[in-house]
Amino acid sequence: MTTLTEWLRDPSPKSRVQARVGQSYLGWLRFRRNPLAMAGALIVLLLIVLAAFAPLIAPHDPIAQDLSQRLLPPGTPGYLMGTDEFGRDILSRIIYGSRVTLYIVTMVAVTAPLFGLLVGTVAGYAGGWVDQVLMRITDIFLAFPKLILALALVAVLGPGIENAVLAIALTSWPPYARMSRAETLTVRNADYIAAVRLQGAGPVRVIWGHVMPMCMSSVVIRVTLDMAGVILTAAGLGFLGLGVQPPLPEWGMMISSGRKFLTDFWWVATMPGLAIFVVSLGFNLLGDGLRDVLDPRSAGK
Amino acid sequence: MALIEVKNLSVFFEAGDRIVQAVKDVSLSVDEKESYGLVGESGSGKSTILRAICGLAPISRGEILIGGEPLLTPRGKAFTRKVQMVFQDPYASIHPRHTIDRTLSEPLAIHGIGNTDARVVQALRDVGLPESFRFRYPHQLSGGQRQRVAIARALMLEPEILLLDEPTSALDASVQAETLNLLNRLRAERGLTFLMVSHDLAVVDHMCERVLVMQHGRAVEEMENGALANASMKTDYARMLYEASADRMLG
Amino acid sequence: MSLLTVKNLRVTFDTEAGKVEAVRGVNFTLGRERLGIVGESGSGKTMTGRSILRLVRKPGRIEADEMTFDGIDLMKASERQMRALRGPRIAMVMQDPKYSLNPVMKIGRQLTEGLRLREKISDKEARAKAIAALEAVKIRDPERVMEAWPHELSGGMGQRVMIAMMLIPNPDLLIADEPTSALDVTVQAEVLKILDDLVKERGMGLIFVSHDLRLVSQFCDRVLVMYKGRVVEEVEASKLMEAKHPYTQGLLNCLPRIGGGRGPLPSLDRSAPWAEA
Repeated sequence: MTTLTEWLRDPSPKSRVQARVGQSYLGWLRFRRNPLAMAGALIVLLLIVLAAFAPLIAPHDPIAQDLSQRLLPPGTPGYLMGTDEFGRDILSRIIYGSRVTLYIVTMVAVTAPLFGLLVGTVAGYAGGWVDQVLMRITDIFLAFPKLILALALVAVLGPGIENAVLAIALTSWPPYARMSRAETLTVRNADYIAAVRLQGAGPVRVIWGHVMPMCMSSVVIRVTLDMAGVILTAAGLGFLGLGVQPPLPEWGMMISSGRKFLTDFWWVATMPGLAIFVVSLGFNLLGDGLRDVLDPRSAGK
Repeated sequence: MALIEVKNLSVFFEAGDRIVQAVKDVSLSVDEKESYGLVGESGSGKSTILRAICGLAPISRGEILIGGEPLLTPRGKAFTRKVQMVFQDPYASIHPRHTIDRTLSEPLAIHGIGNTDARVVQALRDVGLPESFRFRYPHQLSGGQRQRVAIARALMLEPEILLLDEPTSALDASVQAETLNLLNRLRAERGLTFLMVSHDLAVVDHMCERVLVMQHGRAVEEMENGALANASMKTDYARMLYEASADRMLG
Repeated sequence: MSLLTVKNLRVTFDTEAGKVEAVRGVNFTLGRERLGIVGESGSGKTMTGRSILRLVRKPGRIEADEMTFDGIDLMKASERQMRALRGPRIAMVMQDPKYSLNPVMKIGRQLTEGLRLREKISDKEARAKAIAALEAVKIRDPERVMEAWPHELSGGMGQRVMIAMMLIPNPDLLIADEPTSALDVTVQAEVLKILDDLVKERGMGLIFVSHDLRLVSQFCDRVLVMYKGRVVEEVEASKLMEAKHPYTQGLLNCLPRIGGGRGPLPSLDRSAPWAEA
């Protein structure tokens, strides 16, 4: 164990891998000091575990209906969070629902920021008319309210989980483009960029290898902070019946169906609501913690 | 024949609605293997001349010849193998998220030069850095060590000409001495041509055979190395600069 | 009587990589005289200056056996008392005027604001005082400068404004941290002259922090030479050339001189026994 930490903390690493892992280790040490961020990371980790082992963890089949057991309150033996109007176990539905949530979150987190990053860095680095065109397109997307645009897209593409992902991704890239463009503008006149240009590097190499790494950390932070919004948008689409289609369990849809019984059977809508709340909070806390670790202003001090 | 020829160079920048003349009608020529100094205070345009040579500032009027040939815009890869630059601030001129290894191997990758490992190790050795620094990040290095990395990077492509933009002004005095010694040693070993910018007359006098004093974008006076030492400058400004610097020399 | 006494001052930073000691046991006393603190980057000279005002940010910690200014125990003083000291009694001039002046406030307002708050005097009086202060730092048309924005001033001008601002409340001690390092040589001399005259005229104590040994020795009475957080040598400025410590001598010799020959410059031997410990 001591040898491993020594290897990680070695001030003069012997290889590229060791250098990178060592830096991540120092970041982890910094991250670990923030208890709230650790709590956030734990929640996100829990979500991943739940989604991965849903069939093993869930006590019941999330789709199986049993009308004799409908609308049981939380705490009923065998139904920790109670049952819904079709007698399905809410806990199991939430556990399986985490798969849908995680799927949407991951797909959006992979596509939207990457696209935004690409648009932003190219616009910022190229300047001139390229910048003008790209940023005006970004402005157009930004001009629509997010949920409305997503709704319109789903309405055109048809409901379903893939289309929901596509709609959310298409509405959430502009802020990343804006942000990475701003970051690129500050970076592009730096001496180290001038130095690599003087070595004959073309724009692709400069943007990909030198500008993007500088934008990466703020993008990652922003992504984790945005994840809460993505979950809510996905839930919103589900709530309106435009996301995942029944009987697949999805948290937003679960709230929507529970709404009808809210006054008499509060748990049907509240339980998935709590799940959304906890996971959103987890991502937000994680994002805050990552800011401390990844913020270039704190790095290296 | 002169290796670097700057003929009637003017550089204008547009700043908002007015035009700033950073360099006004400056001519100079640097011979092969010579070390030539540009000296002046902030705003004298000395750094802008270097930046104009390597394409970071526009050539508004006049021309610049390297080895008798006019410069291309953009400069192109052949130019970069001939001319390299060392920047003033080693904290700003090295990519903060790349290891030293990446910084030094990047020029090799751009030009498709192989044998990367051996070359990087050799480059570190040439500038007097231990091999164990290879996979460190810049923030793990001191200012002087970073500037050595920057010098090593500039030499990766084995250029003939090194443009030095205040290479030691951000460093401590003792580190400055080591860096200047290193530069002099490398010049002797590799037959480099230096075009060096500094605000410090003593540094330029130590490093260069000829010095051009600049003020407000204009060339004021060109002096041979000896002319500085025996204070035989002709213009008032050069003398004032000399006196302000000599003032600080005790004993 | 001594104005400032510092005994066994230590500044420690707790970081992930362990404890970093920026200042390790510095002692000095200061009367109404000019003291230079010289050292290279990382020598702790700036931290020493800042500790006197307790301006060290977390995770830095200041410890000292004694630190008294004019009978006030600086280690025990409350944050409120410290605020009353900073400015009116102990002033500080930093390296770059660009970062010490508020960019969105006109010079005149920056100069008079503190005055009006502290002394409860009218706008007119405050303005007159500010103009007098600008005249004291040899600014030719103070009326115009009062109406200027910080970005409209040159570096030398900005630094003079800073000095004027610091001197308005007539402090007893001025801490100048590399006040001229960001300026051109020809301007440097002027600003230093102004600073020097004011300090002499008003009989203030001065702590001049700099990396430039020759510069400091020119207008300080005494010089402390610091290396890695310790004072390695204390010399009378006039006897600087007789300094014995190898580090001090190294600092003196490693600068190139006009007409000083082209051979390699002597460099510091950091592996010598004195550099350890």
